[in-house]
Amino acid sequence: MNRSLIPMLTVAVIALAIAFPLMVFLNAQAASRLLERGAELPCKSPLECAFNLRSPVIPAPNQLLEDFPRAYLNPSSPTSVPYNAFYTGLATLLGLALASIIGLGLAVILTVSRPFERAVLPWLVASQTVPIIAIAPMLAVVLGSNGVQGLLPKVLISAYIAFFPIAIGVAKGLKSPDPLQIDLMRTYNASSVQTFANLRFPTSVPFLFTAFKVAMTAALIGAIVAESSTITDAGLGRMLSENSRASDARNLWQVMLGSAALGIVLVSLVGVVERLVTPWQRNRS
Amino acid sequence: MATQSLVGLIALFGSLALLILTIVQNASNTDAWSGGAMALIYFGLALGIVAVGLTSSGVVKWLERPRKKDQSDWLMRSLVGLIPALLLGLVVLLGVEGLVRGFAVPLAQIPPPSAVLQKLLEARSVLLRDTSITLLETAVGFLIGGSLGVVMAILTQRYIFLERGLMPYSTLFSSVPIVALAPVMIKIMGVDWQSKAVVVAITVFFPMLVNTARGLAEVSPLQVDLMRSYAANPQRTFLDLRIPNALPYIFTGCKTAAVLGLISAIVAEFFGANGGGLGFRIVVEIGTVSLDTVWAAIVIASLLGITVYNVLALLERKFSGWHPSFRAED
Repeated sequence: MNRSLIPMLTVAVIALAIAFPLMVFLNAQAASRLLERGAELPCKSPLECAFNLRSPVIPAPNQLLEDFPRAYLNPSSPTSVPYNAFYTGLATLLGLALASIIGLGLAVILTVSRPFERAVLPWLVASQTVPIIAIAPMLAVVLGSNGVQGLLPKVLISAYIAFFPIAIGVAKGLKSPDPLQIDLMRTYNASSVQTFANLRFPTSVPFLFTAFKVAMTAALIGAIVAESSTITDAGLGRMLSENSRASDARNLWQVMLGSAALGIVLVSLVGVVERLVTPWQRNRS
Repeated sequence: MATQSLVGLIALFGSLALLILTIVQNASNTDAWSGGAMALIYFGLALGIVAVGLTSSGVVKWLERPRKKDQSDWLMRSLVGLIPALLLGLVVLLGVEGLVRGFAVPLAQIPPPSAVLQKLLEARSVLLRDTSITLLETAVGFLIGGSLGVVMAILTQRYIFLERGLMPYSTLFSSVPIVALAPVMIKIMGVDWQSKAVVVAITVFFPMLVNTARGLAEVSPLQVDLMRSYAANPQRTFLDLRIPNALPYIFTGCKTAAVLGLISAIVAEFFGANGGGLGFRIVVEIGTVSLDTVWAAIVIASLLGITVYNVLALLERKFSGWHPSFRAED
């Protein structure tokens, strides 16, 4: 980590060095259009205006810093990012929990029943190549029109999106024991329940966490899309769609950074749980 | 064996549904029921006959017979392997059709599959245009982001500094929800297809970078030594050893990235598009509660995903079919 700190900073600086002139250029263009039209601006040249447009194309760094306290440092306000991120995070986590219960159950049936596996597994595999998120907005509206409102529809939708990667990950994990190990269990005269508890389940745990990480991002996207497609009282998705409609780039950037932070926090949460649950994996990587 | 028991199961369920519905229909002879329940009864009957016919005539057994395992046969074998899944899909579709019609569920809640199919045919010109826009966004974004990813991977292979600086970001980026990026990009680039292509390019970049870099790095030291003993210069080693070794990894990256790209194109269209695109169509038609069109767009999006994935898988087989991973599978 330490030896990659300086290279990472360098890459970040290079990225900013590309983004900064782009920001100035795009904003100056917008500003000169406004000046031509004779709009009242507190600045004279397009270049000067680039840093304090009311509705910039890309917010200038000073504007991002200026907006930060309002967007973040007042967490109890319904328009702050942490307040909404909490709702989205809650929907995501509950959705993931629901998805993992159903996904685990299905994966167990998949490994037990061969006809069931042959009929269902290809659909699960196909689900990985299909944009299942496309159903989310419709599901949100249909659930809403049937009186399912508040947090529940978001939980259901993120569970639905997270379900497929979890089911397929666990099914893969439950099938991962070495045939030799399964033979060994048989020589111990272990029942199929014992084989499951003592061999199949422990070997599937690393697969489970890899699946959880993928599913977490998917669930978060599901929750955000669900929030943005219905009328809701809170959530990052609501903020995104509102500010997107109002074309408010300054708020959009704050929400985008907040969503990115939420995604990183949630996925690293899975990483932390993984380290606690599977200490034997730590030495491998 | 598995298929046969499944077919038997389907026959059983088909006749059971038939029985229940006949009873229910006689019990409550209302208007809402009549058409739908009859439809389900006929479907159940037909399905039962087909299932029993397939099992008893030995068609299933013949299809599942042991075959000579050679390369040319893989397509046929994988198709035969899909039979149970396709049967299940058929049963589910017919079940939904019968239930939706039977209970007279309003079109604004769940449209029956037949209505969706009809809409697919009716609105095909509009949907085709939407598909071409989404495909354009995905393809352009994929080509830009993917080739940048491969080039950067080659550079990280050459310069360790770049690898240390770039790779940690890929883990960070994989946990960022792309939805949040879409409105920002639309604000910067406008509502036309270009903004969505950029979103796709950003999502595609990191999976391609990571997979290619892994493929380039994971060459066995013995092979590198062999190249050295041939007095091969670094360029030669790169072209004849590292690139071919990375090919399967690049294809894996392509498959993952293409699906991710399609997803992000559709999601980005939710937030703004200039009159076309599958995601745009879905959001607009939800607004007017014409859910049959929404489902038609979803069906097309799914077919698009499956097609893109399988075309890449076919290319993979053609260009890196020599790789041990294929031999192990056959």
